[in-house]
Amino acid sequence: MSCREIERLLAAEAPEAERRAHRAACRDCEILARDLATAESLVSGLQAPAWPPRLREALLQIPALTVSCEGAEMLIASSLEPGEEPAPAEQARLTFHMSRCDGCREAFETLTGMRDLTAPQPAPWVAGRISATRPVKPRARWKGILDPRAAIGFAYAAALVVMLAGFNPADFARRAGAGLKYETKNVAVVADASLADRLGGFQQRALRAVAVWRGRAGGYGRAVLTNVIALVMRPEQRPRPPQTRPRNGEERNVPRNENETSIPTWRA
Amino acid sequence: MSSNDDKGLVDRCRKGEDEAWRELVDRFGQRVYSVAYHFTLKREDAEELSQEIFLKIFENLERYDGGFPLIAWIVSLSRNLCIDRYRRQKREKSFRFVSDDAVLPLLRSQDDPAADALKKERTKILFSALAEIPEDLAEILVLRDLEGLAYDEIGRALSLPEGTVKSRLFRARAEVARKVRERHENRGTGVLTSLAVAAGAFV
Repeated sequence: MSCREIERLLAAEAPEAERRAHRAACRDCEILARDLATAESLVSGLQAPAWPPRLREALLQIPALTVSCEGAEMLIASSLEPGEEPAPAEQARLTFHMSRCDGCREAFETLTGMRDLTAPQPAPWVAGRISATRPVKPRARWKGILDPRAAIGFAYAAALVVMLAGFNPADFARRAGAGLKYETKNVAVVADASLADRLGGFQQRALRAVAVWRGRAGGYGRAVLTNVIALVMRPEQRPRPPQTRPRNGEERNVPRNENETSIPTWRA
Repeated sequence: MSSNDDKGLVDRCRKGEDEAWRELVDRFGQRVYSVAYHFTLKREDAEELSQEIFLKIFENLERYDGGFPLIAWIVSLSRNLCIDRYRRQKREKSFRFVSDDAVLPLLRSQDDPAADALKKERTKILFSALAEIPEDLAEILVLRDLEGLAYDEIGRALSLPEGTVKSRLFRARAEVARKVRERHENRGTGVLTSLAVAAGAFV
């Protein structure tokens, strides 16, 4: 069919007179219009089929039978919480809904499947790599002062500077009269708990000990040196044959056979 | 009823009000069953399909936003179910041989056996022709000429512009008319005339 004018006129809801005029001029459209009238007569007069009462009752029971997708999400969430599982009726509605809804069933199986997952076992090198990539904390400068080794070093350096400068902490304490208990004609007794006195006493004991050990080292050193010289300079001694009594037929200092030789022994 | 009223009804259904669901079933049950019957032409299948459609409606109530009439939303929601069932019936060729029982629920009795018989035969021819035209044309003809939906409701239900709906409807009617005419020509005599003669035997 080449002419579609009648279709255009009908779609535009053109007046009946205009359509009739075109049908009179166009044979194709005349045939088509007659066919349309036939189809319309077939359709007209039909009534809607009455729906049976039992269908209405069945439709009214639907809310008790299933649940909406958003309701199913709530039931799925609560069914995963131990102790908060839905009631049997709710569970039945959810089960029925999931039998029809692929999306909700997939969500339920995915979430319940989480329980079956096992903890992943890392490769042996993972822990080392993780610890290696841990960011290094910038170390505060003042924390170096709190380092025990640094503190001891500082203390020794300070004490050395004081002593090299020729100061005796005990003198400071004595001049200040701090902790002076009593004073006799020959000696002044200061408080025994004074730090300066302790440092001074420690210094004197140390010097005394050094002198003693220096004397001992000198004495022992000289003794060692003397012994070494005596050992090195000792005169050489020839070995003496064993003193044995000659047997019958043997003369003194004559070997018993030709193969027998005498081996001298050395003694340091 | 406006879309706001439809939205209010759907919201009440979502809240679980039994009375609201009863109202929705009573408002749309007859229409859904009618659509289902026109696609199946079997009472049992239509009931089953209607239940399936209402289950789907209930399970998807939260998707209705009130943007267009509820009947259009229901038709759009049930479209795939109807088309699936329609295709299955076409594969089984049950549409090719429309029975008397299948068309009886669609006919108004006129207390005239001859007129009833003629009407019955014409209706059988109509549904046989519907089964032979493309689905996208057949569904528009069913929704417009058998269900009486407005053009804008059909357009929203099928996601089509109104002009396309009109164009397809015209083509559907023309296709059906052509099928009927071809059948008439193949028989050599007018189908309707012969049917009338056959119906006269009942008188």
